[in-house]
Amino acid sequence: MTPFLLLLACGLVARGNQLEATPEYLRPDPFGGIVPADRGAGGFSKALKLEGARGGHVSFHLVVKMSQPGPYTLTLRSYPDQKGLQAELFREWFHFTESNKQYYPDALIPVQQPYHSEMPEPDNRIETQTAQAFWVDFWIPPDAAPKTFQTQAILQAAGETRELNIQVKVLPAMIPNDDVLLMDHNSYGTSWLADDYPALSKKLGDGFFRSDEFFRLLHSYHRIFYEHRGIFHQLGYGHAGKVGPEFAPAIEGSGRTRHVASWDLYDRHYGPLLDGSAFAGTRRGARPIPFVYLPVNPEWPASFVNFGEPGYETEFVNVVSEMERHFREKRWTGTRFELFFNHKKRYMGFPWDGDEVRFPADNRYFLEYGRLMKKAVPADSPVKFVFRADVSWDMEQQFKDLAGVVNMWIASRDILSWLPQAPATLRDRGDVIWYYSGPPEVTQPASTITQFALEGWMRGVGGFVHWQTVSAGSDPWFHFDGGGTALVYPGDRFGIAGPIPSVRLKIQRNAVEELTLLASFARRKPAEELKAEASRLYNHTTPAEWWNARPAFTSQPTYEWSGTTLGEAAKPALSHLDHIDPDAWARVRQYVMRLAADGNGEK
Amino acid sequence: MKALLLAIVLLGPLAGAGREPGRELDEVARIASVMVDGDVCKRIVTPRALEYMFKNDPHDQWLAGDNYEVNDEAFIAVKKTLIRLSRLVPFPCDVNLWMPVAGHPDKVRIVIRNAHELSQFWTWGALYQDMIPPMKQVLESGRRVAVAEKPGWVSVLAPVYDSLGDIVALVEAVTETPVDPHENVK
Repeated sequence: MTPFLLLLACGLVARGNQLEATPEYLRPDPFGGIVPADRGAGGFSKALKLEGARGGHVSFHLVVKMSQPGPYTLTLRSYPDQKGLQAELFREWFHFTESNKQYYPDALIPVQQPYHSEMPEPDNRIETQTAQAFWVDFWIPPDAAPKTFQTQAILQAAGETRELNIQVKVLPAMIPNDDVLLMDHNSYGTSWLADDYPALSKKLGDGFFRSDEFFRLLHSYHRIFYEHRGIFHQLGYGHAGKVGPEFAPAIEGSGRTRHVASWDLYDRHYGPLLDGSAFAGTRRGARPIPFVYLPVNPEWPASFVNFGEPGYETEFVNVVSEMERHFREKRWTGTRFELFFNHKKRYMGFPWDGDEVRFPADNRYFLEYGRLMKKAVPADSPVKFVFRADVSWDMEQQFKDLAGVVNMWIASRDILSWLPQAPATLRDRGDVIWYYSGPPEVTQPASTITQFALEGWMRGVGGFVHWQTVSAGSDPWFHFDGGGTALVYPGDRFGIAGPIPSVRLKIQRNAVEELTLLASFARRKPAEELKAEASRLYNHTTPAEWWNARPAFTSQPTYEWSGTTLGEAAKPALSHLDHIDPDAWARVRQYVMRLAADGNGEK
Repeated sequence: MKALLLAIVLLGPLAGAGREPGRELDEVARIASVMVDGDVCKRIVTPRALEYMFKNDPHDQWLAGDNYEVNDEAFIAVKKTLIRLSRLVPFPCDVNLWMPVAGHPDKVRIVIRNAHELSQFWTWGALYQDMIPPMKQVLESGRRVAVAEKPGWVSVLAPVYDSLGDIVALVEAVTETPVDPHENVK
């Protein structure tokens, strides 16, 4: 073939069908490009070389490009004769995002292979679509052989076949099963489930919230976060104390006679989560959830009508004691049960702030509930109760004044930024310290979500909480709000009775796996050196730049602080996280893999 | 507005509502007018919180909420009375406290809510909201008013007096049939 004919042939192929790949941080758009937020040095490739440690995942976007509409078949070859590596294929949904009128892939729909469809993808309804993206997960089991695996993805369309070679190098290094920090995903109540699963709730009618299907649905949310190395919290009461029936045992009587009347709904909800059976069959194994909210609030189990009187104490102590006995008899001793007050005065239910105390006088209520808990729970109980407080304004003083009472703190990210000694101080006395965050919207670079785990590790906290993670808006499919309150989506639209993951959730999982591996190298390299290099590679900072100077206004009473000045004071450190470039985590990942390879599998 | 007015029933005693819950709520509201102490109600929200309630800062959307504070003794005393009143009926009922806003006759604010988290009027999360016509009517006339605007809901509004005999607040005795056990668990 002459050079001219060769060029012509290449040109024809380029205009025809193509099968390409991009790294996980570069999200494809439906027209053959990369979404603007992720455009950087990298791009599409026609062959792929990946490497990863055992006990973790490697992932990428597989992209079918077709210049003409029509049917196609996509196949990802598995490893029938090569022990271990497991592939999963997801179709990426392109969400039309109202804020900037662009398409972003995020929801991941599990698909079977070979996958038969057509371009444009009928249900996504993008008339001019020429590219369909798929998320590929390779799970590397802990017992996988450390060697290089080869496979192929194959596209068949319009009588043509395109192949993409994939090479996965499995390193001997092992990702520890326990993460370097906990990633918590928060939510409120269960009413949203009826909205998100209309087919199921319609079918079950009034019985929906008491049905086995409903409880399976609840458990499926815990499973999806657990499978993505996270945990899930559902708060079960409102700001004026209304408790959802599946979040608390039914109680009856008043004063001396108040007692638990039924554990039915509570046990159906929590039993499989607290004994771990809800997670049977998952890759991480059947383990109890590590934390759970209690339904206790100022109105439950004691009625506020008796607050401050002997009857309030009797109702509180009797019912909480019954709960302790029940948990002990069930051997639910692997979970920490959180006494947690979410109410704020501004919602008019109670006269003090349980959440984010601003007025120090409110702290006396924490002391009182601490006293009641001590009275209710035997000192030698094997059941683990913790007193959790989500704190901001007054947190520095609360760390001192509530020491020995509150022992689980979810701290404001902003205020924590000028308290560099706090995490170690709290950890040293046995307290749990996490910080508060929220998922980044899809319009931000895909790598943005990696910052939370890294920030937590840099600051020495044990975890972080995404405050709302299951609320994808009224129409996430065609009029998306950006996903700032969602990391999973209801699967109902695709005939799945449970949530489906997102690109952001996958990237977050991969990052914490790699960070956990990196942190494990502290056995052979100083932790501070690991942090310094990760920080440099991630956003060109030093570890010191993750902290702020203490602002002058902190000498004033907290109720005199203003939100504006507080935000300004937090800016210097957080400004380094305002725009994470698309390759930020890729550089850290490369560093981790280099150390893993150098360590020759040291664990 | 026309539909709302059609739904309002002037009480004296409750006439036309045609529902047992309405009649029972009217009795609750009538007793509330006697039992709820308007002087104590006036002491619940601090002057500082009221001052911040109408402040705006484009850089701080939570300014008013972050500065909302109450005198807890007054709050607790009135809340306990409201809870006891709600127990006069055999069905789920809340008795909420509402107050006008000094200097803002076109506004009204909820001050105390209760455990069923029921209200036919409260915009969730609002520190204050536009005056609701039947509330204005109660505040001006001193007569109880029943409202059944939302299907399945009945509220009876009744005046609260201080020691001078002035109407300084109002109660909303409210129920929903059936009660949604999952709503407002958030």
